[in-house]
Amino acid sequence: MNEPHQGEFCITSENDIVMARKVVRDAATALGFGITDVTRIVTAASELTRNIYHYAKSGVMHWRSLNQDARVGLELTFEDSGPGIVDLEKAMEMGFSTGKGLGMGLPGVKRLMDELVIESTVGKGTTVVVRKWLKK
Amino acid sequence: MALESISVIKLRDLLLVTVPPDPDDETISALQERVLQAMALYEARGLVLDISTVQTLDSFFARTVAETVQMVGLMGGRTVLAGMCASVAVTATQLGLTVGNALTALDVDRALDLLNAAPSGARCV
Repeated sequence: MNEPHQGEFCITSENDIVMARKVVRDAATALGFGITDVTRIVTAASELTRNIYHYAKSGVMHWRSLNQDARVGLELTFEDSGPGIVDLEKAMEMGFSTGKGLGMGLPGVKRLMDELVIESTVGKGTTVVVRKWLKK
Repeated sequence: MALESISVIKLRDLLLVTVPPDPDDETISALQERVLQAMALYEARGLVLDISTVQTLDSFFARTVAETVQMVGLMGGRTVLAGMCASVAVTATQLGLTVGNALTALDVDRALDLLNAAPSGARCV
């Protein structure tokens, strides 16, 4: 468990949403997450992958295992070169959506994961990093 | 692959649909279409959506289910969501998902009981 596990996955089609879920499910299960946390992480990944597909058309998901201060976790990074998010604060509000989503993607993902960091530049792209720590 | 993986089964005057474990968006959309066609074709008065094997219920899935419930309701039918597993229920709630006016049941048996106990013509929309 000491060697870091990592990988990346390109998102270019709608079917990649399902594939990304599989990749994340395998990674989270291998790290020892329980079924409820695996479901949380996979669902968060599904939302973030779909965001990339819908708003940016394509992007990359990186995943890596974390080992910090005797804590084990999983980090997922979603990167795209899409239009970016104009109003990050607004994007984090429940019920706000500029697309055809339900507007619960980002705030919902925040509740499912332990940490969420978003960096976005309009016209350049968006990077979303989420982490979940294994409870002892 | 998507279309073959959905089966809409007519059970007396009800429809039973088993949702595959990890459906893509296309499959979920196709499911909605098939259900509505079957509602009209069989003059069904109710729908049981068996989601017991579903591992990931995300916002797209939930929205499509909520829409389907609404549409089935407009056609005079009631929908029961059956068999949601605990981890999916926890995740869906934290994500803030709702499934519209669907009735829910622990499993398909109870869903059928629920629909058969309902007076005919009962609407939930």
